[in-house]
Amino acid sequence: MKLRDETPKQADEKTPWVERETMIEASPEEVWEALTDEDRLEEWMAPEVDLDPVEGGGIAVRDGDDQRSGKVETLEENERFGFTWSRPGEGESFVEFMIEALPGGSRVTVVETPLHSAATNTAAGSTMAFGWGPRLLRLSHTLRFALVA
Amino acid sequence: LRAPAHRHVDAVFDALADPTRRRVVETLARGGTVTASGLAAQLPITRQAVAKHLAQLDDAGLVQRADAPGREVRYALRPGALGEAAGWMRDAEAAWDGRLGRLKVAVERR
Repeated sequence: MKLRDETPKQADEKTPWVERETMIEASPEEVWEALTDEDRLEEWMAPEVDLDPVEGGGIAVRDGDDQRSGKVETLEENERFGFTWSRPGEGESFVEFMIEALPGGSRVTVVETPLHSAATNTAAGSTMAFGWGPRLLRLSHTLRFALVA
Repeated sequence: LRAPAHRHVDAVFDALADPTRRRVVETLARGGTVTASGLAAQLPITRQAVAKHLAQLDDAGLVQRADAPGREVRYALRPGALGEAAGWMRDAEAAWDGRLGRLKVAVERR
C-alpha cells in the first residue's frame, strides 16, 4: 500500500462545526467507490441516493420524508469528496469526506458546516467556524449547568 | 415545522462565523453584562465596530439587552440560542456516526 506523507495537521482555526472519523480496513480506492457510486451510497447513506459524480453535479438523498439535495463541490479521486446539501426551505451545509491511507486501511473523516447567505457565497467552507465547534458545545454545556445551579 | 427553527440556527452559526463576535460571546459567557465601550476597551476595534457586532448578535438572538441603570445599553448572553446551535451540532454528529458506521460495514464486507 502506498504511504502518503502525513498531511500537516490542520490549524485549530480550520476545524469545522462538525467533524467525525472512522477507520476502515480497506484501501482508499475501495472507500472512494462506496462514497461516490450512487448504488454503493444506497448501501449506507440512505435508501435512495442520486449522484452525478462530477464537479457541479447534483446529489439527492432521500430517507422517507427526510430529503436533502445539493451540488458536488470537490472531487479529488481517492482523497476528497465534498458537496453542499439542504432540506427544502432550510439552510445549506457543506459536507466533505477526506480519505487518508494508513497501514492496513484508511481513515475517513467527514466534516459538516452550515453555510450562510450573508457571508461569502463563493468557496464552500469559506465560512467555516474556525475551531469553534467543540468550544460552542463546551460553552453551551457549561452555561446550562450554570443556569441550573 | 422545523424550518423556522432551523433558519434561526443558521442565523446563530452565521453570527458566530466572525472571530470578533465569537470573542464577544466568550466574554459574555463568563457572566455579567457588557457595554460597547467596555468591550472596545478589551478588543482591538472601535466602539462603533463593537456596537455593530452586538447588534448582529442581538439579531441572531445570541445576546439580549439587559435591564441595567446607566446611559449606555448593556448586553447579556442569551444561552438558549447557543443551546440550539449545540443541539444542531449534536444531531449532526450522531447522524454522521451512524452513517460512518454503516459505511465501514458496507466497505469491509466486500
